[in-house]
Amino acid sequence: MLDLSTTTAKVVFIGIALLIGFFLFFPVYWTLASSLKADAELYQITPTPWPKAPTLDHYRTALTEGQLPKLLGNSLLVSISSATFNATLATYAGYSFAKYRYFGRKPVMMFMLSAQMFPFGLLLITIYPMFVEWNLLDTRLGLILSYIVFALPVATYMIYSYFSQVPNELIEAARADGASDLRIFHTIVLPISIPPIVTVFLYSFMWSWNDLLYSLTLIVSDEKRTVAPGLLLTYLNETNADWGGAMAASLMAATPVVLGFMFLQRFFIQGVTAGAVK
Amino acid sequence: MTELSIQGLYKRYGAVEVLTDINLNVRSGEFTVFVGPSGCGKSTLLRMVCGLDEVSAGTLAIDGEIVNDVPPSKRGIAMVFQTYALYPHMTVAENMGYALKLAGEDKGLIAERVRRAAEILKIESYLDRKPRQLSGGQRQRVAIGRAIVREPKIFLFDEPLSNLDAALRVDMRMEFARLKERLGTTMIYVTHDQVEAMTLADKIVVMSEGRIEQVGSPLDLYRAPENRFVAGFIGSPKMNFMPVTGQGDGRLQVPGGTIDIPAEIDASRVVEVGIRPEHMQIGLADENTLRGNVMTAEHLGSDTFAYVEIEGLERPVMVRLDGEHTIQTGDPVDVGFATRSVHLFDSDGLALRRQKVSNAA
Ligand SMILES: Nc1ncnc2c1ncn2[C@@H]1O[C@H](COP(=O)(O)OP(=O)(O)OP(=O)(O)O)[C@@H](O)[C@H]1O
Ligand SMILES: [Mg+2]
Repeated sequence: MLDLSTTTAKVVFIGIALLIGFFLFFPVYWTLASSLKADAELYQITPTPWPKAPTLDHYRTALTEGQLPKLLGNSLLVSISSATFNATLATYAGYSFAKYRYFGRKPVMMFMLSAQMFPFGLLLITIYPMFVEWNLLDTRLGLILSYIVFALPVATYMIYSYFSQVPNELIEAARADGASDLRIFHTIVLPISIPPIVTVFLYSFMWSWNDLLYSLTLIVSDEKRTVAPGLLLTYLNETNADWGGAMAASLMAATPVVLGFMFLQRFFIQGVTAGAVK
Repeated sequence: MTELSIQGLYKRYGAVEVLTDINLNVRSGEFTVFVGPSGCGKSTLLRMVCGLDEVSAGTLAIDGEIVNDVPPSKRGIAMVFQTYALYPHMTVAENMGYALKLAGEDKGLIAERVRRAAEILKIESYLDRKPRQLSGGQRQRVAIGRAIVREPKIFLFDEPLSNLDAALRVDMRMEFARLKERLGTTMIYVTHDQVEAMTLADKIVVMSEGRIEQVGSPLDLYRAPENRFVAGFIGSPKMNFMPVTGQGDGRLQVPGGTIDIPAEIDASRVVEVGIRPEHMQIGLADENTLRGNVMTAEHLGSDTFAYVEIEGLERPVMVRLDGEHTIQTGDPVDVGFATRSVHLFDSDGLALRRQKVSNAA
């Protein structure tokens, strides 16, 4: 066994942790640093390791002159809707897979999970003509529905694993107390399942928020454009490359997801069913 | 008055038969204990009475009404689960009042019934706590409280004490005895601990491998087990068993000696005899005597358990002596016992009875 208490081990361990941390966080740092540099400093041949004269100009321009507020609004609308939709579907489906025994339960679940095995781009090729047919192209509803592809299979599986851990006796106790199946689900199971549901919500929120491919393809009109393709088209197109603006806007665009995960951490720590059994 | 009647009950999971031809009547107010080794189907039987598991064949009737297809909440029963199964997000009071709330009872009535149950169980001061803020024993009380609040006709308990430590278990056992006196309701209690069964039960149902082996009062089962399984299961320490090696002159030959048997019993049918450790003596001549060597002795203070090795027996014979008894290990000794305390079994493991039931006293 590796003895973690010796000094050497500690040094090695901390060293590795720092190295990994550096690789993970350097891009984030570089984005932040670049967004704070004035254009002159940004386009020097030798990059400066940190902004000599930090400025919020890029942020100001992004918020006032660009379309960022509108893009963020669109993304928020689409992502919250699709995350709600996904989390709801995943919760009911996961519960049914975990706690009911019926014919075809396992195959249906496998079938669902197998959707995850196709490259998303490939699925888009089949979704596109379908949406054309159903007049869902260039609609927010269409985009929201298409995000099922990303998150639903894994979300359902996550919820399923959680529900499998919920003791059957809890459900049976409620049944013996006279609760109907739906009642049991809504008044006993759901209240103790907030953490996994929030997790799944954020998981699918993140997918839709960060998506570029689907939103770029399925949304055409400017006023429905979401943040990822919006940034790409605004800041890095054929005619200009406004790196400072792109960095500032990206950081602001990433904020909701980061905040979401910070909020989520509290849930991970809680013992969910503490006190139910034993 | 509530009566539970089970007739020809079977439970199958696919091809596996878990319960076979269960017939049982539980009288009103009776404290009935299902006891048996792990996996014998006690919980399954209890869950079927509760309505959580479906009946494969046979009938279940409560107060003369067949309840095979009646949902649990309509059967007038309340079950306390082995793992307590408290609702973790509800307070103790909400846990206890949940069934009444579902039944649409008035808030005042719920509060009153919860208060009364809490008083019986001495948990008034935890009513606002969540289950996770309670100790194991307190959770157990809440689980019982949740059942009491419903004022059921029959209480069902599935190994309610098995998650508690030994000391608490003894306390809670007395608590159950008190509860039984106080409520006077029909109770069915599952355990694999025969001490719990002996101390609590009016009636014990001994089960093994999905069948009922014997039904009777604790002392009936102790005095007159109908078969070898019950004889070995009821009583602690366990009964000593010895194979019969021959017979003659109304006596049975067993390893280490011979045993006198009553004239009315056909000696040729006896293949095995059993004698309880507490019915044997060391160094005292009695109607029957076996010769052996003391292998070890355990001094528990209150009792001394002597293990006597007898030639021809695989396991030593255990003899229960009083605590002050001092014995030398290694010495040859005489183990004496009375004829009336000998249990006789035929080749099917069934007990051979004397005309009068007057086995051990
Ligand atoms: N859903 C099921 N499918 C198949 N077999 C089952 C099922 N539930 C229980 N059994 C079997 O039924 C038998 C009886 O189980 P049960 O839980 O009633 O035993 P028990 O007497 O309560 O044991 P314990 O003292 O360990 O609680 C066991 O052999 C078990 O494997
Ligand atoms: Mg059991």
